[in-house]
Amino acid sequence: MYSSAVIWVKGGAPYLLLQHQQKQLFSTLSRKKTPLWFSPPSTTPRNFSARSSLQPLDVSRLAETARISLTPTEVEEFAPKIRQVIDWFGQLQAVDLQSIEPALRADTEGDNLRHDLPETFENREAMLAAVPSYEEPYIKVPKVLNKD
Amino acid sequence: MASICFRGIRTHPSFLYPSALFTRRNGVFFCTMQSPQTETKTTIENPKTHIKASPSTQTKANEKILHDYEAIIGIETHVQLSTLTKAFCSCPYIYGAQPNSTVCPICMGLPGALPVFNSKVIEYAVKLGLALNCKLSMNSKFDRKQYFYPDLPKGYQISQFDIPIATGGFIDLDLPLEFGGGHRKFGITRVHMEEDAGKLLHSGTGTYSQEIPFAFTCLLKSFRPYVQVDLNRAGVPLLEIVSEPDMRTGIEAAEYAAEIQRLVRYLGLSNGNMQEGSLRCDVNVSIRPIGQLEFGTKVEIKNMNSFSAMHRAIDFEISRQALLHSQGQGDQIVQETRLWEEGAQKTATMRKKEGLADYRYFPEPDLPEVVLTEDYVDSIRASLPELPEMKRRRYEKMGLSMQDVLFLANDINVCNFFEEAVDKGADVKMAANWIMGDIAAYLKNEKLSISEIKLTPQELTELISSIKGGIISGKIGKEILFELIAKGGTVKALIEEKDLITDPTEIERMIEKVLSENPKQVEQYRGGKTKLQGFFAGQVMKASKGKANPVLLNTILLEKLNTKS
Repeated sequence: MYSSAVIWVKGGAPYLLLQHQQKQLFSTLSRKKTPLWFSPPSTTPRNFSARSSLQPLDVSRLAETARISLTPTEVEEFAPKIRQVIDWFGQLQAVDLQSIEPALRADTEGDNLRHDLPETFENREAMLAAVPSYEEPYIKVPKVLNKD
Repeated sequence: MASICFRGIRTHPSFLYPSALFTRRNGVFFCTMQSPQTETKTTIENPKTHIKASPSTQTKANEKILHDYEAIIGIETHVQLSTLTKAFCSCPYIYGAQPNSTVCPICMGLPGALPVFNSKVIEYAVKLGLALNCKLSMNSKFDRKQYFYPDLPKGYQISQFDIPIATGGFIDLDLPLEFGGGHRKFGITRVHMEEDAGKLLHSGTGTYSQEIPFAFTCLLKSFRPYVQVDLNRAGVPLLEIVSEPDMRTGIEAAEYAAEIQRLVRYLGLSNGNMQEGSLRCDVNVSIRPIGQLEFGTKVEIKNMNSFSAMHRAIDFEISRQALLHSQGQGDQIVQETRLWEEGAQKTATMRKKEGLADYRYFPEPDLPEVVLTEDYVDSIRASLPELPEMKRRRYEKMGLSMQDVLFLANDINVCNFFEEAVDKGADVKMAANWIMGDIAAYLKNEKLSISEIKLTPQELTELISSIKGGIISGKIGKEILFELIAKGGTVKALIEEKDLITDPTEIERMIEKVLSENPKQVEQYRGGKTKLQGFFAGQVMKASKGKANPVLLNTILLEKLNTKS
């Protein structure tokens, strides 16, 4: 049912981001995997979050933010698995980082920037052909209501 | 419809006018022809009509109420950058291009596609940061802002959250004299880089299936409502400028936005065109009784696509809130987003906010840190052009009036024209007068920019000195000006074409004729009413159809008036 599942933690507050089949837009396309990312605890000078302890798990809410619907059975099935991950983050949070300078990001080599030179993507036709509902020249999606 | 169009922190002004997108499909790439002066003019004119339009009794009551309250206004401005390519992929962006024609796996959010950042965006962000007197973050980063909506196929917007590229600046501006004038300094909280979303066209707007009979279309739509997506704009770079809540009135807010527009145009980083959505302002307005320290409930206003609309929308909103307060219904002011309805000249609820949206920001793992070096920042600082505020102060020192200063400095193309003419030796005040008078009127009429007309600063200079030197009259000068604007050419050649009267005997004959036709005035002149010289000069000029050389005319006329007894 899900193409991938991503978990991230912001200052200790866990969220589950299940990237569901984006029926609204491209149901045939699977999503790219996003690496696990973990931010330092909120003792850093930066304003990541005021929360310092892990929030209790609420699978239904997580499902809602990821725009997926879960049956009560699924909620029950997922809860222990997700809790395991959260517990693992709990372990990470216990690590003493007082003496460590917070890093903005993982080290990368060089800037990896691009010049502002236009290039036309050659395989546009194939890309649009994969769109489930396309009516020249628009991609058609069901009417969706904003939930935020 | 509207409730779906406007969401999050972004506006999609074009949604409300989907037909505009269709008619402009074959539009031009850089649509900067529209003269910004027109916009200033509307800013000046409309408020008056607005005040007159509203019932006068209500206005008076409101004015009384308004005295007891203070409005707090903050503005978020999105500036679409005029880079050739998008922020994270090499797709070109061309306003008005065929929908979904400039897309690739990156901006369509296909699996495995990775963003590569456009270095031009950093350059523009640093330029704007410096121009807004901000402190730059030498190390900043991108973050993901999660939201689900079909205008952004990735499911998140790449933005900057806790470490924006620039923070803590300010902007200086001068209010128009029509609104009392005065200098203002408004704080800038932050500037950050982010990507734009695609455009959504909502069905039911009647532009989609035109070949299907209307009734049938309606039937279809009522069963299968859908949205059309154009991803050309997805991934186009934006700079978001967040102001401090420093503005207090509609005109201050509108002038703040106008100054941002001038700034980005001076810097050449955006066309700043509000109608096309290259400059979008979301305004937060709250009011509080004067003397109260804590802020009132803030209301967000969207959908203003001109400065005058901003001005009117904010003033309307302030009155609305003040009225509710004064009637003891302050609790009816709720945190919400309201839309400015241009037709009805009022704001109306679009969407109430149920708590803060949870964007679940986290650092973008696919992009490296944005690192600036001192050398890089210094080189950009050195390349900055003269900015609007500096220009206005310099023009003031040149002896121009504030009205002239504000008019000229409003448009960088006008500034360049004016300065070139002055450099070539044109009289400062006369050059300003010609540009602001006949030239501006022509540009407004023909909807042209000063850089699009055939008149060159060199010829304007020439024209001014010809009038100043008495070679041609003001009337002929005007004729020549319009010919120069429309057809080009040189002042010298045009003067020759006019076969002006430079023969003293011919001029003398005309003068004698005028004097003999007006014996009464001649008598009065000789009786001491010397001001009548102007009357005679005018009559002679009229008789010559403006072609007489003004210097010769006046010399001979004086001679005749004073010697003949």
